[in-house]
Amino acid sequence: MLGGVILLVTPQTVTDKFQLAFARIFRTPLGVSRSITLSARTSQPVKDVVSRGEYNKLLNQLANVTQQLDQAQQKVEALSGLHRKFAAADAKFVLAEVIKSSSTDIVINCGQNYSLSKGQFVMAEDSIIGSISDVWAQTAQVRLITSPKSKIAVKIGRLNVEAVMRGDGKGSARIRLIPVKHKVRIGDEVFALKAAGMLNWPMIVGRVSNCRTDDGNPLLWDITVKPVCDVDSLNDVAVIVLNQQK
Amino acid sequence: MPEFIHTQKGMSMKWLRAALLVCFIAVIQAGLANVLAVTSLNIKPDLLLALMVFFAVSSTSRDAIVLSFAIGFAADVITIGQPMGPRTISFGLIGTMLAHIHNVLVIRKISHQVVTVFFSGLLVFSISNFLTFLANHSVVTHAYTVVLGTSLYSSIAAPFLLLPSAWLMRMKTSRLNR
Repeated sequence: MLGGVILLVTPQTVTDKFQLAFARIFRTPLGVSRSITLSARTSQPVKDVVSRGEYNKLLNQLANVTQQLDQAQQKVEALSGLHRKFAAADAKFVLAEVIKSSSTDIVINCGQNYSLSKGQFVMAEDSIIGSISDVWAQTAQVRLITSPKSKIAVKIGRLNVEAVMRGDGKGSARIRLIPVKHKVRIGDEVFALKAAGMLNWPMIVGRVSNCRTDDGNPLLWDITVKPVCDVDSLNDVAVIVLNQQK
Repeated sequence: MPEFIHTQKGMSMKWLRAALLVCFIAVIQAGLANVLAVTSLNIKPDLLLALMVFFAVSSTSRDAIVLSFAIGFAADVITIGQPMGPRTISFGLIGTMLAHIHNVLVIRKISHQVVTVFFSGLLVFSISNFLTFLANHSVVTHAYTVVLGTSLYSSIAAPFLLLPSAWLMRMKTSRLNR
């Protein structure tokens, strides 16, 4: 009982080490379990010419490129032909394997040894899936955009409306405080906004899956955003590490 | 008297076997239990809860209490990203309570054990959710549904764990001298 109370009052950064040690020790059986879980969830045959995963990835890539093109065009118009270097050229990507995942967080096998730090964005299938919430020597914890603790600045691509998106802990995220005068539609793409030192270009995070007026204030939307990337099926992710000397 | 000796022998704890069983079930709970997850709330059976009830109704009070805390610690360790302690305390408390109840009330039939798993689950998950809230002020969304669903699902899955565990531990799930 006393042990339990001591564990409860111990800082989570310390107790996390027990949990990560478990994940490391039982990495093999947990990996096998994960594969079985994934195969059980994706047992239905895919009849598309291109696999669903590949299709989603290409769709996300298209959305990102379109968004970058729009930005580039605006920039070109504004600066009258001044050359702009592609934003992603300033970034490097640290590829990492997923050790453990839950509905709100994942743990990856790269940490301070790969210069990872808190707040860096994590992408998969050409979309933002979350950001680093904790870093240890050889592992890091990624807070998914669907986590209730996640809060990122986004914009709804077609409308160019900026807002804050929070995870709802149920596999989706919510955007509130957008006036109903903006014609938000189901299927609209939602992009993570540029963040100084973290993200140099807007990147897709999800699509609007539901849009209704807020129960508390009928003048505002209550928008549900579904991530474009199925995190459950991920084995690898990429952490965006921007070059600080630029 | 011979019957009493037989009971004591039948209830003697095989600690190494128990520790391996707890580790094995913890790994299963952390990994394979996700296959059984249902609904968008990701409700899955808690095999460690069923294991706690199994030990509480089939071993001596002292052994049951020690194992309840150990199982709670295992449940804390496999819950990555959450504060440690709530499950150690809640499993320990309810395991202790069950062990004392078992001193005066025999939980012999498998159906009674299933019901015990259900009500233990309600208490264990409620306490651990409350302690988690105290620790980091985060609450599980739809907490009541998750607690009820997990307890119900655990009780349904419990017979599939109770019987193999009894066989593996070579333990009798009831006290013969009552």
